[in-house]
Amino acid sequence: MSLNYQAVLWNRQKKIYDGLIVLGVVLYLGMFVGVGSLVRPQTTIETLLIRGFGTLALALLHVILSIGPLCRLDRRFLPLLYNRRHLGVTMFLCGLFHGVFAIVQFHALGNVNPLVSVLSSNTDLSSLSAFPFQPLGLAALGILFLMAATSHDFWLANLGAPIWKSLHMLVYVAYGLLVLHVVLGVLQAETNSVLTLILAVGFVWIVSLHLLAGFGEIAGDRELTAAGSDRFIRACAVDEIREKRARIVCLAGERVAIFRYDGKVSAVSNVCQHQNGPLGEGKIVDGCITCPWHGYQYAPESGASPPPFTEKVPTFNVRVKAGEVWIDPHPNPPGTRTEPAPIEGDASNG
Amino acid sequence: MADRDPFYVGYLDRIPAGIAGRTRLAVAILLAVGIALGLVLTFAQSSFDEGVFEFGVDREFRGVVIEKPYPMLLIPGTSGDARVTHYLAAYGKIGAGKFVDGLDGQSVRVTGSLIYNDQQRMIEVHTIEKIEGDTDDLKGLKTAAETPLGRMTLTGEIVDSKCHLGAMKPGRGKPHKACAIRCISGGIAPVLRVATHAGEVDYLLLVGADGSRVNRDVLKFIAEPVEISGEVVRAGDQLILYADPATYRRVVTGSTYELR
Ligand code: FES
Repeated sequence: MSLNYQAVLWNRQKKIYDGLIVLGVVLYLGMFVGVGSLVRPQTTIETLLIRGFGTLALALLHVILSIGPLCRLDRRFLPLLYNRRHLGVTMFLCGLFHGVFAIVQFHALGNVNPLVSVLSSNTDLSSLSAFPFQPLGLAALGILFLMAATSHDFWLANLGAPIWKSLHMLVYVAYGLLVLHVVLGVLQAETNSVLTLILAVGFVWIVSLHLLAGFGEIAGDRELTAAGSDRFIRACAVDEIREKRARIVCLAGERVAIFRYDGKVSAVSNVCQHQNGPLGEGKIVDGCITCPWHGYQYAPESGASPPPFTEKVPTFNVRVKAGEVWIDPHPNPPGTRTEPAPIEGDASNG
Repeated sequence: MADRDPFYVGYLDRIPAGIAGRTRLAVAILLAVGIALGLVLTFAQSSFDEGVFEFGVDREFRGVVIEKPYPMLLIPGTSGDARVTHYLAAYGKIGAGKFVDGLDGQSVRVTGSLIYNDQQRMIEVHTIEKIEGDTDDLKGLKTAAETPLGRMTLTGEIVDSKCHLGAMKPGRGKPHKACAIRCISGGIAPVLRVATHAGEVDYLLLVGADGSRVNRDVLKFIAEPVEISGEVVRAGDQLILYADPATYRRVVTGSTYELR
């Protein structure tokens, strides 16, 4: 986890994941350029490469943006999320090749600097058909560069999770810019409406997937409020929690994960310290709460990662009374040890 | 024993069976969709213009230089006194001004790469030198008569003669707009590409009403449908359109025309 930083901590899943990325990229580009030069022999290899890399980058961006909501809708997609950042870096590199080839092709060897040319050759904002689309692509590439450059956990730790997270939310701005880049660019010249249709389907897919996942999440949030003078609030029945799993409840706007394991109940903040993964969708593995996204671990009683790791999440005091879990809505400071509440009459309660 | 509550942890070597099955399915679907997408996109892109850029092939040409309004080389045609006009450009997106400076009307030997499309020709100049000695065969090239064809209103697209003739595919339209702006502002001759009623393409060299260069003035009309009214002249194998760029008009769609 955060103990020290290596370029990439390789493991079997990452190797398989990356192997598949390379396979997909090679297949797509080989086919686009190979078949393209057969069916459009008048064109040039430069054009096929520009288009191949550009369309591949946009397709990969759709995959990347789909993985998050898909995992929220069905956890069996989580293996796709595990190494998503390598997919992101691959997408950036494809976009970079597209951009560099296009800038060289359309802007180099002229009477001004190529980058100046991108921004200054077309400044006609008077109509959509004339609108300069290349600066939009360049801006998106700039965002994707920032994201790829800071994708390593080193930057996550050094920028702090909130800054890092908002930086990486800019991917949606990049996506919007790229949709405009295509609509105001190549689609102004191409006549086949299938191209517009494909882009529209992609856009609708991304938006609806996010809406679906978002609604699902909001519907799942039951805001709990205190009953009586006691600070403790009734959260759920013990039976609603599966062994080694959690139930997520909402307390004062914060999500809390209540875990049941070995005849006991413990509660921690739902937010993983790594990238805000939902700990409550994780599982107790080898005695530790294990985050479903990248497998960071926390002891259920203390919210602290096992040594030598140093991540800590807030814990919550819990009680079990008559088969019901009661929870104190005031979080303990991250890493504070709290007594797990024993479940009366649980056979596994030792 | 089957895991009844499978949970995926990325850094463990094994994926639980149920999750692995779903992942394999998702990856297979993704690869299939990717390949299908690539195929559809390949076939859906419009076809490209013919046009050839003999990049890396060095040829030699003999002819007479025209310096104004745009650098050109007039070369004897194969039949009698006919002449073939070749636009001249330098390497990249730069006009051939520096090559032809002070050579107007002179007989020269040019080496360069040929670019051609739809009977239009251009040379990307590598070297140029004055011919000392016998140039009788080149005499009379420059004095070919200009035939006025009258005043016309034409709709078409302003393209740069280099990219459009074959240096780039596509060499016109929105994706190429910025490049055409770069080339024309770099001194390459602007031409109006018009479609004829018969479905063919004609090119008219654009000059001002007084026959001057218009590179700077046409920039804002490039790669858009544009309507130009002016005097059309045939000079040998070339059509020239005399019109003040201040009178050019953007239009919504192009239309075809017929030479009268
Ligand atoms: S978010 Fe990455 S491990 Fe929890």
